[in-house]
Amino acid sequence: MGMTFKQPVEEFRHEALLYAGMQDFLAGTIPFVRGGVEAGEPVLVVESASKIALLRAELGSDAGSVVFADMADVGANPARIIPAWRDFVRRHRAEGRRLRGIGEPIWNGRTPLELVECQRHESLLNTAFATGDPWWLLCPYDTEAMDPSVIDEARRSHPYVTDGTSFRTSDDYRGLDACSAPFDVPLPTPGSGMQELVFGAGSLGDVRGLAGRFAADAGLGPSRIANLVLAVNEVATNSVVHGGGKGWFRIWRDTGALSCEVRDTGRIDRPLVDRELSEDTVGPRGLWLANQLCDLVQIRSLPEGNAVRLHMWLKPAAGRSAAHHHGIDSIL
Amino acid sequence: MGAYGMDGYTTGGRGHDDVFPGMGSQVYADKQLVVSRTTSPDGLSFAGEIDATNSHAVGDAISSAQLPDKDIHVEVASLIFCDISGIRAFVSAAEALPKGRRLLLHGMPAQLETVIKVVGWNRMPSLVVCKCEGD
Repeated sequence: MGMTFKQPVEEFRHEALLYAGMQDFLAGTIPFVRGGVEAGEPVLVVESASKIALLRAELGSDAGSVVFADMADVGANPARIIPAWRDFVRRHRAEGRRLRGIGEPIWNGRTPLELVECQRHESLLNTAFATGDPWWLLCPYDTEAMDPSVIDEARRSHPYVTDGTSFRTSDDYRGLDACSAPFDVPLPTPGSGMQELVFGAGSLGDVRGLAGRFAADAGLGPSRIANLVLAVNEVATNSVVHGGGKGWFRIWRDTGALSCEVRDTGRIDRPLVDRELSEDTVGPRGLWLANQLCDLVQIRSLPEGNAVRLHMWLKPAAGRSAAHHHGIDSIL
Repeated sequence: MGAYGMDGYTTGGRGHDDVFPGMGSQVYADKQLVVSRTTSPDGLSFAGEIDATNSHAVGDAISSAQLPDKDIHVEVASLIFCDISGIRAFVSAAEALPKGRRLLLHGMPAQLETVIKVVGWNRMPSLVVCKCEGD
């Protein structure tokens, strides 16, 4: 008998759903959700508000058995999505049940910077759940709206691919080792008006001062200035404490964003370092915190050392400004 | 969001005089932080910036200030910046107190309170963020 959405999974199944248009989206997702509801599995759907409305209408009374969350809240910064899924899995696995989820982190309108980090997120999901909790995550990709290169990457980051009726392993999947390997995709060249400084243990205050001045000049509000300054401080402190004792800081404005970067000669060897908070209260928290405080964080392990970029959008898109606070709440 | 809305955050804090009239002698000072003893209520006032270079001063000041054997009141309204190591130092100092005694933080900037929640240290019974009149 062939695979269907009624089948229970015995380990983590990370599957891309390639759909073309809304009818196709519903034809793929509704049987998946119903399969979970009928088996008594907790189901969490993280989608856009408009797709959630569609799914609710189509599911009718079954919608009451499903938890919905707006991806614009949970995943504006895609590095906050894995903690949210882990929270969901941890909460329900204690009851010994299988779980299901739908998550669509990539939509038309993601900026090029966000897209790269969403794709990294998709790869890291395999790492985050490699320990084998039996749950099924379906990641819809709109083949009509997306560039073909995005669909190609979905085939590399997902071990399984379906169109809703036929199920197969992805021949292009890059494998767990490659998913967990240090990320070294090049970063774009900074914009004009960049300022930089070299810092050490005694000059963290200078880094904070420069970041705070740039953030104020860029027109960020007081709480977002404070968030950026704290994130910058923690990442720079990592360089001083773990990354060779000093670092290089630079900050600039691009279209729609205030961006800065901390480089050092250290090496990040935990692929999920910025998306898991260790129970150990003395463990490093800087990169995790940066993801809670900033709109987007990019971490690269380069031959010469680490590069961490922090971005604050200057004019938050609809849903984004609120997303920041909801993101923290949902994780707590 | 109301619970820990960050919109009220302003850098610089308030002057201590209104809140802590019993400002006393300095127990610690460096180029970015001054810690003073207060007597009414009994405790300490922190003004300036705490980061990895001076967060040791938090525990040192609390243990060396010869505070009476009761709750310790700490005024942080003039703390312009406090990093994670600084917050951790307040948490550790609270944990180190004998059972039944607490560390009460007054004038906590909303942004710092957010950070304490983000890292999950708001559940410590011995560390209390006060929302009393005047804070």
